[in-house]
Amino acid sequence: MPAALFATTLLIAACGLVYELVAGALASYLLGDSVTQFSTIIGAYLAAMGVGSWLSRFIGRGLVARFLAVELLVAVVGGFSSTVLFLAFAWTDAFRLALYAIVVVVGILVGLEIPLLMRILRERFEFKDVVASVLTFDYLGALLASLLFPLVLVPQLGLVRSALAFGLVNAAVALWGTWLFRAALGGTRALRVAGVAALALLAGGFVYGERITAAAERGLYADDVIFARTTPYQRIVLTVWKDDLRLFLNNHLQFSSRDEYRYHEALVHPGLAGLQGARRVLVLGGGDGLALREVLKYPGVAHVTLVDLDAGMTGLFRTHPRLVELNGGALSSPRVRVVNADAFSWLDTSQDRFDFVVVDFPDPSNYSVGKLYSTAFYRLLTRHLSRDARIVVQSTSPLFARASFWCVDRTLREAGLRTAPYHLYVPSFGEWGFVLASLGEPYAAPTQLPAGLRFLTASQLAPLFDFPLDMQPVPVLPNRLNDQVLVRYYEREWERINR
Amino acid sequence: MHPVAPAIAAGEGAVTMPQSRRAFLGAVAGASAALVGLSCKGGPRIAGTFADDGGAAGHLIRDGATLAKPRERRRVPLVIVGGGIAGLSAAWWCERQGMRDFVVLELEAEAGGNARAGRNDIGAFPWGAHYVPVPGKRATLARALFEDLGVLRDGTWDERSLCYAPQERLFWRGRWHEGFESFLLDAPAGRAEWSRFSERLAELRAGGGFTVPLSIGAPASSPLDSVTFSDWLEREGFRSPALRWYADYACRDDYGTRAVDTSAWAGLHYFAAREHEELGPLTWPSGNGWIVERLLERVGDRVRTGAAVRRVTLSGSRAVVRTATAEYRADAVIWAAPIFLAAHMVQGFPSTADVTYAPWLVANCVLDRWPEDHGAPAAWDNTIVGSPGLGYVVSTHQQVARAGDRSVWTYYRSIPGVTPAAARRYLLRTPWHDWADLVLDDLEQAHPDIRSCVSRLDLRRYGHAMARPVPGFLDARWRRTLQSSRGPVWYGHADLGGISIFEEAQDRGVSAARKALDRLAGAYGASGA
Ligand SMILES: Cc1cc2nc3c(=O)[nH]c(=O)nc-3n(C[C@H](O)[C@H](O)[C@H](O)COP(=O)(O)OP(=O)(O)OC[C@H]3O[C@@H](n4cnc5c(N)ncnc54)[C@H](O)[C@@H]3O)c2cc1C
Repeated sequence: MPAALFATTLLIAACGLVYELVAGALASYLLGDSVTQFSTIIGAYLAAMGVGSWLSRFIGRGLVARFLAVELLVAVVGGFSSTVLFLAFAWTDAFRLALYAIVVVVGILVGLEIPLLMRILRERFEFKDVVASVLTFDYLGALLASLLFPLVLVPQLGLVRSALAFGLVNAAVALWGTWLFRAALGGTRALRVAGVAALALLAGGFVYGERITAAAERGLYADDVIFARTTPYQRIVLTVWKDDLRLFLNNHLQFSSRDEYRYHEALVHPGLAGLQGARRVLVLGGGDGLALREVLKYPGVAHVTLVDLDAGMTGLFRTHPRLVELNGGALSSPRVRVVNADAFSWLDTSQDRFDFVVVDFPDPSNYSVGKLYSTAFYRLLTRHLSRDARIVVQSTSPLFARASFWCVDRTLREAGLRTAPYHLYVPSFGEWGFVLASLGEPYAAPTQLPAGLRFLTASQLAPLFDFPLDMQPVPVLPNRLNDQVLVRYYEREWERINR
Repeated sequence: MHPVAPAIAAGEGAVTMPQSRRAFLGAVAGASAALVGLSCKGGPRIAGTFADDGGAAGHLIRDGATLAKPRERRRVPLVIVGGGIAGLSAAWWCERQGMRDFVVLELEAEAGGNARAGRNDIGAFPWGAHYVPVPGKRATLARALFEDLGVLRDGTWDERSLCYAPQERLFWRGRWHEGFESFLLDAPAGRAEWSRFSERLAELRAGGGFTVPLSIGAPASSPLDSVTFSDWLEREGFRSPALRWYADYACRDDYGTRAVDTSAWAGLHYFAAREHEELGPLTWPSGNGWIVERLLERVGDRVRTGAAVRRVTLSGSRAVVRTATAEYRADAVIWAAPIFLAAHMVQGFPSTADVTYAPWLVANCVLDRWPEDHGAPAAWDNTIVGSPGLGYVVSTHQQVARAGDRSVWTYYRSIPGVTPAAARRYLLRTPWHDWADLVLDDLEQAHPDIRSCVSRLDLRRYGHAMARPVPGFLDARWRRTLQSSRGPVWYGHADLGGISIFEEAQDRGVSAARKALDRLAGAYGASGA
């Protein structure tokens, strides 16, 4: 009997600590800043344990039954804690609330355990031995948990299933208790039924734990995730809802198949349609092959080089049936050469010259991407232009990020190029902008566009180059490698929008 | 494209333990804290070694007496001893003047000295000097070099050689902050004191004596050179801990000395010699190793590496330069190696140079992934307030390519000790793994999981990195004596300026070259060209 009792103490102590570790690890994983997360969670947890200990004084009769009931409750709440938190993070805005609510509830219940257990044992053993042994095994249990957690549980089971596994242990201890203390219990039936139910529930969760994290990801994207992969450079996620296929890179929407044709037609044709005799085209970024699809509509274009950093992207868009359907198999065209390299370094080493260049990089949201929008980059690019060549640059939104947009324009001009900025409306993005640039003659809109477009007509081009009052130029500085004003403009402007 | 959506990643199964949890486990496990804390320590093993020729100089001095007969004998108009910035600049200058008949003798396996660089599969990284502030209008020699290298064209500086944004950040109160200013201004009295300090600097700057290099206008002596920088700050009433930290940091960073040991003139030179520069410094992934490479493209075919000079003797108006295997009979010699060695090796060395040297340590850390990082984004130069080190430079920062997960950080630490000799013993006797631990402990303050990110850590020890500009250095007799040498040995090394910076090394090297060329022109002119 004593051995069994102390084993119980050890196990419940271990369970209690695991729930706390899970909450701390999950919070620092999802929210970042692990020092803050861990210390506030420990604080809340220990305080709640204090509350639990204090509350224990209000439990008078039926000590053993109450103790076992507490055990079962901890098993279920603690066991499902990480599952609930994952889901709360993905589906609700109340992650922190759920986090601290769970930490406090588990803390209170765990705080009740030891005082109750001591009082139960006091009736059976010498008090000084009870205190000594219970605390010894309590601390040893904590040690056990803190070793198992990083070395075995997290690497082997992950956070969701670690908590569930310890919930199972907790519930099993409670069931075992109904047998250990059967003499002190009035009836054991109700408790045993509850115990078995808790075990079944937790076991179910344990088996389906994998799917729960997948569901959480779906929650984040609202639609069904049909593809998700982390490459060395980014997390690629594809979602569908009815006929709408969407691409997210690092959770940023890249396109929606419902209106991407607007974006890509406007990116390519105003610049390329008027370039009689354009044979060699360069696409920088744009690993989705959509700009490429538009470029390939010109039979005169003999060679297209596409430079995209991420082989994961170009590979996916060359092979995934839905994506191949969308880009018309552009990445497999014999006219296309795909290079997976950093655009800046590639331009540094290449000698090639082009008649038309599409620059379609992610928005300049950090210093690393911002280098690709600098005077140094555009100067380098001009060394790869043929005589009458043009460049088109995706330049973020002239409405939401007005200074950023005009900064791209200013930077191109600083690099010695003549610019022609324009804009259009893309429903899934809002008002969006591009800048055409060239070393030669001023831009003149083409009078003819290739056949088979869905958005642009030749007569529609002129208005694109006209900016309404709220998108007109603002005074800005050019973006240089050593002083990336663009990244600062961009951060300021999108922060204002997101607030 | 790409409007910004709330950027949060949902969970994917298992999580690796953040290292900071070690502290947490200790706290929460109560009685078993120590046990638990220890059980998690360790982490992956980090490889590395000493990548230096530590102590080589000492050997040279000791073995100086025992020289075997030379296997090779050569006559050459000019021998340059030392292939650091000074020696290579001397060579560059001769080349420019059309005098190509010289040889540069360099002790180490590669030229560059304190400006050497290394390279691995991630890219290039400095082993020492890593930047040159954008030279001002008056620094004509430095500008001439940068024009030659294509870094300065028609008055504009090449954007790719200027330090990319963000340039510096400072770690204090648990997070990184962009730039230094916010730290100085944050202290209660900080703002007032900083603006008073700036005014004082403006006055000193206007005086015109704080020049780079010193030879274009620094005074031969100054009352500011008779007190230490700390005493000067105290006297002027600059007492805020933030400013004092900054001043001390500046001395350690530039001279390897504490503010309490540094001449106030030198301490102020750091601040007053340059205008506030919007452009930021010139730098390259390999640091000043880039300049070394460019200079070697021009004169490298006449550089002999692994050629330690052991002795320079005089023979009439000529000098005889000995390495272990060769003997060079030269009309002129430029001594561009550290001056303390000349005292042992050059016959008729004109004075006892009472110069002391600061020891330095440089660590290159290979990171397989970026560690935990809080606050302002990673900059080129990253400094931790209150650290015994000087922070680290991210070598991949100056690559134009988008950085992958891997990087090399170059960590700097000057070792100011009770005496330079004691500090040098400490530097050279501390085993590799202890140094590695000290470096990582320091970085851990700002990056709790750094140990699990670093896969390799190599160390380079500089026993005699640079001459210390202690009070009295400006009008030290030995400097004047050496500068007025009449040959056939001329002295040109950063030590001679008293302040170890690129421009000083270049200036001293070139000015020695000018004198040597004059002599040679005279000699050859006389023999009737
Ligand atoms: C860690 C560190 C960081 C620094 N960072 C900067 C910085 O960022 N910017 C800056 O401007 N300055 C910096 N400096 C200062 C640097 O010392 C100077 O900029 C400059 O590189 C000094 O050049 P030098 O040629 O005068 O001396 P050294 O570099 O000392 O060159 C002397 C050369 O002589 C060789 N030599 C020695 N003995 C012999 C012998 N007997 N025979 C043959 N050859 C011999 C040496 O191997 C060496 O190559 C730094 C210094 C150190 C130590």
